[in-house]
Amino acid sequence: MVDNFSDEQKKGMEEMQDNLTADRHPLPRYKHIGGRGGRRLDGQPKASGQAEYTMDVILPGMLHLRFLDSPYPHAAVRSMDTSKAERLDGVRYVLRYDNPEMPEKASMGKFHGLYGDQPPLPGIAHFEGEPVGVAIAAETEAIAEEALTLVEVEWEERSFNLDPVKAREKDAPLSYPEMYPAGNFWNNGLFNELVLGDAKKGFHESERVMEFAFSRRGHTWIGPERPCGVFRWNGESPEVWVKQQRPHLVKKNLATWYGGIPMNSIQLHCLYQGASFGGWVQVPWNMGPLYCAGFVAKKTGRPVKYALTRREDFYGQSMDDGRYSLKVGFNRDGRINAVKGSSTMTNQLWPMFNIMGHFKENTSIPHLHGVTESVWVNKGPAVPTRCEMLPTSLCITMVFNRVAAECGLDPIEVALRNDGIEGHGTDHLAEERRNRGFSDVDSMKECVERGKKAFGWDAKWHAPGTRKLPNGRMHGVGFTWTHEWDDSLGTSEMAIRIERNDGTATILAMGCDNGVDAENTYCRIAADELGFRLEDVRYNPQIDPGFFRMSPDSSTNASVNGWAVRHAARIVKAQILQAAVSPTARTQRGSYRPAFPDCTPDDLDIEDSVIYRKSDPSQRMSLGDFVREAGQSGPISSSESAGYRWAFSEPLFAFGYQVQLGSYNPENPRPHFTRQAHFLEVEVDTETGGIFLTSVVNVNDVGKAMNPMSCEGQQYGGSIMGLSRGLFEEMIYDQATGVMLNGNLLDYKIATIKDVSCPIGTILVETGQGYGPYGSVGIGEDIGTVMTGILGPAVYNAIGVWIDDHPITPDKVLKALGKT
Amino acid sequence: MAKSGDISMFTCPYCSTQRENFEALREHILADHKGSLLPEPANRIRLLINGLEHAMNVEPEWTLYHLIHDRLGMTGSKQFCDRGACGSCTVIMDGLPVLSCMVLAIECDGRTIETVEGVARAGHPLIESYVKHHAMQCGYCTPGFVVTSKALLDRNPDPTEGEIREALSGNLCRCGTYPQHIVAVREAARTLLKEKEDSGGER
Repeated sequence: MVDNFSDEQKKGMEEMQDNLTADRHPLPRYKHIGGRGGRRLDGQPKASGQAEYTMDVILPGMLHLRFLDSPYPHAAVRSMDTSKAERLDGVRYVLRYDNPEMPEKASMGKFHGLYGDQPPLPGIAHFEGEPVGVAIAAETEAIAEEALTLVEVEWEERSFNLDPVKAREKDAPLSYPEMYPAGNFWNNGLFNELVLGDAKKGFHESERVMEFAFSRRGHTWIGPERPCGVFRWNGESPEVWVKQQRPHLVKKNLATWYGGIPMNSIQLHCLYQGASFGGWVQVPWNMGPLYCAGFVAKKTGRPVKYALTRREDFYGQSMDDGRYSLKVGFNRDGRINAVKGSSTMTNQLWPMFNIMGHFKENTSIPHLHGVTESVWVNKGPAVPTRCEMLPTSLCITMVFNRVAAECGLDPIEVALRNDGIEGHGTDHLAEERRNRGFSDVDSMKECVERGKKAFGWDAKWHAPGTRKLPNGRMHGVGFTWTHEWDDSLGTSEMAIRIERNDGTATILAMGCDNGVDAENTYCRIAADELGFRLEDVRYNPQIDPGFFRMSPDSSTNASVNGWAVRHAARIVKAQILQAAVSPTARTQRGSYRPAFPDCTPDDLDIEDSVIYRKSDPSQRMSLGDFVREAGQSGPISSSESAGYRWAFSEPLFAFGYQVQLGSYNPENPRPHFTRQAHFLEVEVDTETGGIFLTSVVNVNDVGKAMNPMSCEGQQYGGSIMGLSRGLFEEMIYDQATGVMLNGNLLDYKIATIKDVSCPIGTILVETGQGYGPYGSVGIGEDIGTVMTGILGPAVYNAIGVWIDDHPITPDKVLKALGKT
Repeated sequence: MAKSGDISMFTCPYCSTQRENFEALREHILADHKGSLLPEPANRIRLLINGLEHAMNVEPEWTLYHLIHDRLGMTGSKQFCDRGACGSCTVIMDGLPVLSCMVLAIECDGRTIETVEGVARAGHPLIESYVKHHAMQCGYCTPGFVVTSKALLDRNPDPTEGEIREALSGNLCRCGTYPQHIVAVREAARTLLKEKEDSGGER
């Protein structure tokens, strides 16, 4: 690597280890960052059907692997007769849970040391529908499915729990006795209790105290492409195709399987992915089938593909399934003094985040006490499902709107009155901004003002249940807010190479496309940092994860990965300018004349992919001319043998990396400065209970919108997902049998293009107060999360009655109105 | 990595030599064995897919989706749900959009099929407008939307927003890209109308 950076360049790299303060070295101007109209790299392949997903992989001789699903919510296989299945034509391998060569346990997505290894193919099911007991590989999926019907199982049915409250009772049966023999109640999560100030004191000092409760029914992610993978052994080396949001975790686990495999012997392909929104990311149920596929592939000598069925994919659920109790102390002017909250959640297979989390991080409420408890019931695992902040976001929405209703105030007024940080007001927030070098803009005020104007809030907001429309429906509006998303406790590594022949730039990093067009963002960053034309930079996804990224193409990816690509681009640019003034290459024939003799790197710059002398721009050379055409024997043309000397450049390549400290770090090193505000307008039919969406406006202070169309995609896309959850989505279980009743896309309804047909406003605010490059913040997770609860206050504003059981379906509206 | 096609061989009942396809076998029997034509197997169908003739033996339980995606390797058609609820496997059959996962292949003899690959190969402006307006995120459902929209524009060259919503209401998108489909389809419609106008009514 060239180590001849100018002082300015060195300064520009300093903050790579510091995202706690303002970006001190932004670019003087942005040409491509923030621009629109750049062509999606994945656009044409996806629109034309050429994009290849793991589900599309078909290999010669490939077998299909299917799993037996437990018919009971809690049962052990007592005995199993697979002989009839084994005799069925086309069946090639029957893998039983008691196969002596299968390990008792293997690494299956261990996360933060919270969960131990798990059996790849368990003999005990802890929820109805869990793959258990046997997996059958056959020539076709249909044969494998038929063979499963021939398996005779003697089950040991066990008592089960579905209700978390009952599961906590003293004499309740154990839901997961093998993993949690001490009881169903489990509160050893990382962030289960939060205390700020003295809640009791806060209530005492309040003019009013209010208590209320609500519940949120579990919902699921519905990844369009089902969890799937293909396993082939090339000799002793596995080649694996897998749908996984974090493919590097698959590779890490795989390296420990089958007696251990060196990382460099594993070839893993992560193709385009039909989204998973966080689901299946860290859970054993995802890895187990892949382990089984590899085992069967080894036994049969043939490639093996597994694909969970649509119903099997239904059992994973969001982390907000639970009951919430809140006590709020406040004054009549809307000032909130204390909030005490507790929630009873189910099956949290990821660290729980406290329901008071966002209250602490972006309000001035001085006294908080939050307890989040998890109870094990016989349902599937709850994992981050856009996202783990659902519980605290729901509580923010409910508390602020409830207080506003009790005070007869506009909820926006209450939000502004309580904006702040860790119990301190906006003055303190402003001081923090100043101390860290950020702009002195009040993000909350900015978001609210722009949103109110676009939405027409002042004309639309009214006292609850007071506005009947000419069409007979009741009119309502809802508002909610919170802070930026900072899911960025992670690292990223990316590289850039300058291509021979034409001098274009290639970004090299782990590929893991989930469709947020992040690749375009990285190209924009690299183009502006290098001084290249946008069309001269291309992202080349490494489908075999080598360069690792924390959150490859989801969550808050660009705010972490953006630093890494920016760093790499700055190093590569320094390399180019150094090479341009140096006698390039030393060979047997001596050294070569510099492209820009008598110059120093500081004399040069690059614009539109052309190197030029700043004092005399007529002295210029395109990157293509600079790197020159490579001959058949390498970069130096063979014509040199005739005495002609070509210019020559050394290989130009650099990597960048970023270690990011985000708010998930317990030390919480950086305050949340930016805010987001969301507005919803509805009409409610009081005869049918029907809810009709008529207007949505999202305002997100993203700090710096590096790729505005991508940001807007998350705004309208997240709105539709959140509103779909609010209107329709819940997993329904038969309480008597523990069987899920709506595990398919006909009975579990998600929003269609007709259900959310109203205008969805997308406003991006750019205060530059983020933790990412150029002051950016992430936007992928938050809108879907925050919008999940907004229907509550909007329907309340329409009918004047709170509905505390989410989703808010027509039957609940009618019940609230006393019509059932 | 290879995609599977129909690799079954056709064996002569008289001399047991093999031919790569039914037509070759037929010609061989006529030329070498002077026999009469063999009756076609009951599971043999002929399809015109994206303008190309396909003659295949199909199993009775195969869906049209299985035939197109798994057997012919046209993987643009996707399976999102498993019961005709999502629209991702939509193809155009004799001018109408159908859910290929809900149609048995053996019942499609003589049909004309258009898949997303055919729509793209024909240079339909929907492809470009979908790319331009980001009418996709993860992209898994996108081909189904494109095919459904193509069928809509074939029968209604100038659809209103409401008509587009109605036509696409059977296609699910979990990423929530719905607003962009309206924009993309409207733009493709305008492009087609202009092309038609410029060419004096022909396209």
